[in-house]
Amino acid sequence: MSSTDVLLRAGRLAAEGVPFALVTVVDVVRPASTRRGDRGLVTADGALVGWVGGACSEPIVVREALRALAEGEARLVRIGPPGRLTEGAAADAVVAESSCASEGVVDVLVEPQLPEPLLAVVGASPAAETLARIAPEVGWRVVREVSPKADAVVVATMGHGDEEALAAALEAGAGYVGLVASARRARAVLAALRESGLDEEELARVRSPAGLDLGPSTQPEIAVAVLAELVAWRHTRAPVPATPAVARDPVCGMEVAVAGAKETAEHEGQTYVFCGPGCRSRFEAEPARYLAVETP
Amino acid sequence: MKDILPTLERWTADGLRAATATVVAIERSAPRDPGAVLAVSEQGDVAGSVTGGCVEPAVYEEARDVLAGGSPRLKSYGIADEEAFEVGLSCGGTVHIFVSMLDPALVEPFAAALAEDRAVALTYDVSGPDAGAARVVLGDAEPEDDVERRAQELLALGETALVEVGGEDVFVSSFAPRPAMYVFGAVDHAAALAQVGRHLGYRVTVCDARARFATPERFPNVDELVVDWPDRFLAQAPIDERTAICVLTHDHKFDVPLLKVALRSPAGYIGAMGSRRTTEERAERLRAESVTDDELGRIRAPIGLRIGARAPEEVAVAIGAEIVQAARERAKAAVEPVAR
Repeated sequence: MSSTDVLLRAGRLAAEGVPFALVTVVDVVRPASTRRGDRGLVTADGALVGWVGGACSEPIVVREALRALAEGEARLVRIGPPGRLTEGAAADAVVAESSCASEGVVDVLVEPQLPEPLLAVVGASPAAETLARIAPEVGWRVVREVSPKADAVVVATMGHGDEEALAAALEAGAGYVGLVASARRARAVLAALRESGLDEEELARVRSPAGLDLGPSTQPEIAVAVLAELVAWRHTRAPVPATPAVARDPVCGMEVAVAGAKETAEHEGQTYVFCGPGCRSRFEAEPARYLAVETP
Repeated sequence: MKDILPTLERWTADGLRAATATVVAIERSAPRDPGAVLAVSEQGDVAGSVTGGCVEPAVYEEARDVLAGGSPRLKSYGIADEEAFEVGLSCGGTVHIFVSMLDPALVEPFAAALAEDRAVALTYDVSGPDAGAARVVLGDAEPEDDVERRAQELLALGETALVEVGGEDVFVSSFAPRPAMYVFGAVDHAAALAQVGRHLGYRVTVCDARARFATPERFPNVDELVVDWPDRFLAQAPIDERTAICVLTHDHKFDVPLLKVALRSPAGYIGAMGSRRTTEERAERLRAESVTDDELGRIRAPIGLRIGARAPEEVAVAIGAEIVQAARERAKAAVEPVAR
């Protein structure tokens, strides 16, 4: 798959809302099997397409791509033989020793591409209408009713079902739940929710009034205040804790992502993963030798 | 008022008397902003709305009563108590609505001012001996008394509000032409900011000295695209207290002369993009050109509220929010809200 094909595929995945990481070779110290500008793409199942180096780099690339996807941040990764790898590397680069004999050093940029967060805007008030119009320009997908997949829910119905929409949003577990209403109206809505059996912990999740406090505002201004708060929330919320599962190659000791691992072997009912076919065949030849060694 | 003006002109031409119900104050979530009008003709015809259906039936009855000779009146509808719920404002919020007779002599001058795109305010005496009296006040006319002076102050800020003048309540409904937003630097952020600015009701101009970057393809959603030296353009551009000036040029060569022009203007918002270090360097250069610390204090830099914005579109929202905040601060200083 050529570098351009990888970009085309990336475009298709982005359009479908599928998360993936784009991997680009940004620097090479020869001898190496890749060139600057080579590209690959890793999906959440650990599958890699494109060319970013041979069997030595691939497991490292997949592992780092899955980590970048979990973290939501781009990372620079230096791959090479043990030794003076950190020399000249960017301070925040991830340095990974490959277990192969190759002498080359490859720097790859790993960019996670996550689908845009989903915002549910409930209600037909002018503030809601304006918010629903602007949010897509700022990188949100917008739906007009509470969805179980919504990352954020903003309720601005002007009294036409605030309670129901908020209850549904809390139930669905949306990370941001905001109510656009006067302080008095908000108190009445929360009281009704309390009466319907929601506890204080759940009610405390409702941001009311939704949006940064910019002073008394017109309806379009409220929409901008809410959007500003959503941007802040999006960038400050804790990164998804789910770190990808990695297992240690019992032969060379490298950490290999379990998802999509190509080289695996069964031994006494246990599955082992390997960085490449070399390690796998060595293991299969005399498993006891590698399992006897306690890996830290 | 603008939305129902054609109807009012027709009624007036037909010699029909009419009463108007005007939202003069609201709580945060009321469906329509102050200035919204519902008019009722003596034949019982209705134009416009004050809450989008919540309290219209009750307001209609008040208007009919005023048409039948009743006094002008201020009515409040809210959710303060159970009774109010029954009146029908399930929609939330509290609205204060002033009901009075329409002065037919005001319709024509008001319509003419709007047609000429002039700043114009309608004022209503809400309390006092002249309660119900209304006037058309032009932004550039010589004020004849305190009410007109106050109306012009609010009009300059584009504010519609209930204020106190000489111990009486006066409602001022402002009809100002759209305020201007000048964005300098034809970068991605500028396109995004233009979009947010238009949503907020600004007339947006993007200016850059480089014709190659300031193209309609890159800026399809601006009111005006100008290729000129930023400082030269701004020096002759109309600027008032509602004007927002956003400096995204990010280059001292452009920023410094541009900001000097901006600081000499009455613009209500001046923001400049750049890291903290760029900002400090720029401040140094401006001081070297004898700009005072007080003047430097007017520049919001780095531009935009700190909301962790990353993408240009997010930065645009951060700037939009800061512009709203600045406008509210100015308005707060100018408007003492009447407590109810």
